[in-house]
Amino acid sequence: MADSSKVGTEYSPIIWEVERGKIRELAKAIGDPNPVYLDKEAAIAEGYKDTPAPPTFMTVPMMWCDKMPAIINDLKINFMMLLHGEEEYEYYRQIYPGDIITGTPRVINIEGKESKSGSRMDMVTLEVLYKNQRGEDVAKSRTLIIERK
Amino acid sequence: MTQELFYEDIHVGDDMPELVKGPLQKLQHVMYAGASGDFNPLHTDDDFARAVGMKDGVIAHGMLIMGFAGQAITGWVPKKYLKKFGVRFSGMTKPGSTISITGKVMDKRVENGENIIFCEVVAMDENEDVKITGCFEASLPNRS
Repeated sequence: MADSSKVGTEYSPIIWEVERGKIRELAKAIGDPNPVYLDKEAAIAEGYKDTPAPPTFMTVPMMWCDKMPAIINDLKINFMMLLHGEEEYEYYRQIYPGDIITGTPRVINIEGKESKSGSRMDMVTLEVLYKNQRGEDVAKSRTLIIERK
Repeated sequence: MTQELFYEDIHVGDDMPELVKGPLQKLQHVMYAGASGDFNPLHTDDDFARAVGMKDGVIAHGMLIMGFAGQAITGWVPKKYLKKFGVRFSGMTKPGSTISITGKVMDKRVENGENIIFCEVVAMDENEDVKITGCFEASLPNRS
């Protein structure tokens, strides 16, 4: 059972220096040939300052900083019964190579639900606001984690 | 330079260009694990996946399928115009699947001086099993 007393908990920040190679690696892993993610000159020609982070890039600092497993552990969620239900992003500014982004995760909701088949599930919503080294908001992520019973 | 996309050129009911990905290989799960940092063995280790109830072995990261949708979207609407993008994960994806990403413009209106298009996006496999459904919003420039 996810620990519902944890609603409102704010975790220590994720701090991540964005590298051009990591942006390219994510685009390559997805198989996205869009040159704006792969080539600085192509990105500049399209009106960017450098290769921008692709739309799902925020998963990289979240996973590589081991933050998600730590949060799941703190919420007493059984890792074996976990499903990723939803993922949502809001974009405020581009994230570029050399940026140092800081993301502060917060638990914004925990609720129990019953599925159509009658089995119990706990739904946990996490939100992370990411800022860059100038203190500007760059993106927000919202993740719905489902723990099956 | 790719062709510029203007608010005036987008109409409610327009389709996003379809993107077809695959057939998916396990190698791509390994690449995605390394790139994203999500090393859950459910995606890379058949023995582990079977032990937790996946009788056919590993399944793709849901975020990889969301990444495909991101590729489809920003192959059409430049990343710099994207404001929101969210998905619900509704099905597991096995190696060998071919995933098609489609989308449609559901609404367009000016909000706070910005030209916003509201679109839906769906990823499904060759059997029309839905993997993700979602929506995205973008703020487009005027032609003038």
